[in-house]
Amino acid sequence: MATPQLSISGNGDDKHTLVVVFLRGAADGLTLVAPLADDGYYRYRPRLAVKKNEAVPLDGFFGLHANLRPLEAAWKDGDLAIIHGAGVEDESRSHFDAQDFMEHGGLVAGGWLGRALRARGPSRSPLGAVALSPTLPECLSGAPTATAFQSLKEFAIRHEKRPQFPAELQRLYALESGALRDAGTNTFDAIRRVEAIPTNAAPDNGASYNERDDFAQGLRQVAQLIRADVGVEAATVDIGGWDSHFVQQTTIEPLMTRLAAGLAAFRQDLGARMGTTTVVVMTEFGRRVAENSAFGTDHGRGSMAFVMGGGVKGGRVFGSPHTPGGGTWPGLTPEMLDGPGDLPVWNNYRNILAPVLARHGTSEEALAKVFPDYALKPLPLYG
Amino acid sequence: MKPVSRREFVAASAGAVAFSIALMKLSQGWLAQAGQCLGRNVQRPLAGAMTPPQSAQIDAVAHALNRLTFGPGPGDYARVAAMGVPAFIEEQLAPEKIADALCDRATMRFADLWCEPLGEHYEEDDDALPPILRRVTLLRATYSERQLFEVMCEFWSDHFNIDPSKGDCRWAKPTDDHAVIRAHALGNFGELLRASALSPAMLWYLDGRANGKRTPEEKPNENYARELMELHTLGVHGGYTQRDVMEVARCLTGWTILAKKKDGFSGKLLSPFKNRGEVFFQPDAHDDGAKQVLGHEVAAGGGKSDLDQVIAIVAAHASTAHFIASKLCTRFIADEPPQAAVQAVSRAFMESRGDIKTTLRALFATAEFASSAGEKLKRPFHFVVSALRATNAATDADSPVISYLEKMGNAPFRYPTPDGYPAEASHWFGTLLWRWKFAVALANNHIGGTRIEAAMLRKKMGGEPALMATLLNRTPTAEEADAFAKSGDGIALLLASPAFQRC
Repeated sequence: MATPQLSISGNGDDKHTLVVVFLRGAADGLTLVAPLADDGYYRYRPRLAVKKNEAVPLDGFFGLHANLRPLEAAWKDGDLAIIHGAGVEDESRSHFDAQDFMEHGGLVAGGWLGRALRARGPSRSPLGAVALSPTLPECLSGAPTATAFQSLKEFAIRHEKRPQFPAELQRLYALESGALRDAGTNTFDAIRRVEAIPTNAAPDNGASYNERDDFAQGLRQVAQLIRADVGVEAATVDIGGWDSHFVQQTTIEPLMTRLAAGLAAFRQDLGARMGTTTVVVMTEFGRRVAENSAFGTDHGRGSMAFVMGGGVKGGRVFGSPHTPGGGTWPGLTPEMLDGPGDLPVWNNYRNILAPVLARHGTSEEALAKVFPDYALKPLPLYG
Repeated sequence: MKPVSRREFVAASAGAVAFSIALMKLSQGWLAQAGQCLGRNVQRPLAGAMTPPQSAQIDAVAHALNRLTFGPGPGDYARVAAMGVPAFIEEQLAPEKIADALCDRATMRFADLWCEPLGEHYEEDDDALPPILRRVTLLRATYSERQLFEVMCEFWSDHFNIDPSKGDCRWAKPTDDHAVIRAHALGNFGELLRASALSPAMLWYLDGRANGKRTPEEKPNENYARELMELHTLGVHGGYTQRDVMEVARCLTGWTILAKKKDGFSGKLLSPFKNRGEVFFQPDAHDDGAKQVLGHEVAAGGGKSDLDQVIAIVAAHASTAHFIASKLCTRFIADEPPQAAVQAVSRAFMESRGDIKTTLRALFATAEFASSAGEKLKRPFHFVVSALRATNAATDADSPVISYLEKMGNAPFRYPTPDGYPAEASHWFGTLLWRWKFAVALANNHIGGTRIEAAMLRKKMGGEPALMATLLNRTPTAEEADAFAKSGDGIALLLASPAFQRC
């Protein structure tokens, strides 16, 4: 590298990038992160439980599903924190209601991420918030600028028939003075940086993204944007299809493979830049603890969440804060379960997101507005 | 039916085709009109004098058009120049006298939105109404001749911002738009404020519906009371205290709305449609003790009249006049409005007891308004509408065009917090890329449901210099004219140019 590139955004690059991965359809936390040492787990899940000898052992108690093995390195390096019993206070067990509630940050207008970005003040980057999806997710509603896209090629000012057009436009902005000139310069700069991204070049550090997986390709493009220093403050990428009422294994095993491979490739690709990047993986609710007759599970409450990235004191599973006799897992017994037999929500999603947002520059005062009408008890993810 | 031989069929078909072609030729004009009657492809007529601005600077006529409207279309400059700016201002201050047939045609198929009682809206799906409201708002801004009225509707929609994605607001916001914002946009501020206080959408959005005091332990919900003073009237430094917030909240206890309630088990709706969203006062949830609001006594036993007393107190407060004047001057003059103008406008507001027309008339008469030409950054909505108007576009305002506003973070009714979209330029500099992409897409007819006819426009204007002056609201600089020619797509270039981002 010749000269270090300066950030074009006053907000984005110095406050890092937050990537939110939403597992739509309610992912079964008890399969992704299995309580291998809990006999209750095997009683409730005689056919569906993750087998001890097949799991990726974590801390002697929990284990990752074998398909999540690519995440083992992040766990061992202490970059991945796992939160069990994660969820939302909404008890509807409705995908729509729970997602809506979670993305809005309560019974409130706009999205939590949109409000958090808005609270940071004006974004000077046209790429402050990006969603790798056909439309913007609700959590980004109200962001200062937010762009849903499926290909980096959309970040260009191109004129199919008139190649000279951008240069003429740039000339007019260069004749300006003041803030509009600066805004024009910043925007042309961002476009140049995106155009300079060798979209077909191999990822860094030997990382490899599945060419045919849009989740992996989405993360790959986020990594490319992060490296281009174009001021991306937030990015959202979804994986849908977790609603496993029927033959759960065949439904979610391929999804777990994609999830873990994509996240591991992203981490490897970004390398040292993961120090200023955070990935949060969340889902609207978990599944019923007892399996159903169709080799599946029904709608429940608590699920799990991952937080991976810079500064995270990982290699830990956050579970129930008040477990009799200590520990984080009270054991799956009828008395402990919620409603029709669901893992309780021990960790409200706001308490997971709050410390992450704080690391990404959201002040305590702003957090109260991002999550109004809620007494925050941020999880100690960073210490 | 009698079988038809192939020969007979071909002959008959040929005749039928010839007949239909003749019919089509005959009826082309009629068909176009029918299309307009249906509200699709509505377009402002290119009629009358088209003389564009002749000055190298934004002159008084162009300035009035820039600020009182969402941007001039072809012919607007000539019309206003002929009548004079003072007459134009008066015309725009009396929207009820302006015929608006084109806009009516463009929006009539969505008329349920403002004709139906609120209860009926609840029959609609969760996400049905907000997109229609966004669409209607864009159509009105583009096609209405009552431009200042539409500009003020936008202003008050921000001032009394309600994001329909919260709770029942998704059904109630269209009624708020019609019965609060549009009913009072150029009326009396106090009446606007009272309508807003009792608007079902506002009662939902700022939790007024949950503000009650039935027992000594129950605490009033202060959300609306605080925003009423902080955002709607006195302003954050307007001189109210936490005690005032609590006292106002007490005054407003008991007002609520009939909410959409679902049976937890069957998912069936409990309350009947026709009454849903109805606002009513629950005496048993009202704190009927004596209160003190901003130094005024509100006597015990006032019941539902407490609300009227609160509205009267805050609407008449000097800080309210200053705050509203300041916001209006920010919208119409400059991001940091000159204090002399704010004071003049504030005085007009006080003296007219919140008459919005009188207040605006005073604003447009200030020297500061006259001397501020061409220096404000258009917000994205203003930019998009002004581009549609300048190019005389035919648009259905459907999602392809709305999606550009979403990308620029300025789609109508998408702002989450009660302070409304910011007016200041600094918030909007990150939107240039999408403005440029919009300009190129519009000029090249790449936006579904939106079309311009560039050749026709050029011809009607009488050539490129006139077209450039129409788009820029002044004659182009040498560089602009040069770039216009060299770019290969002059219309897109000028719409994307720095000059077109300002007003």
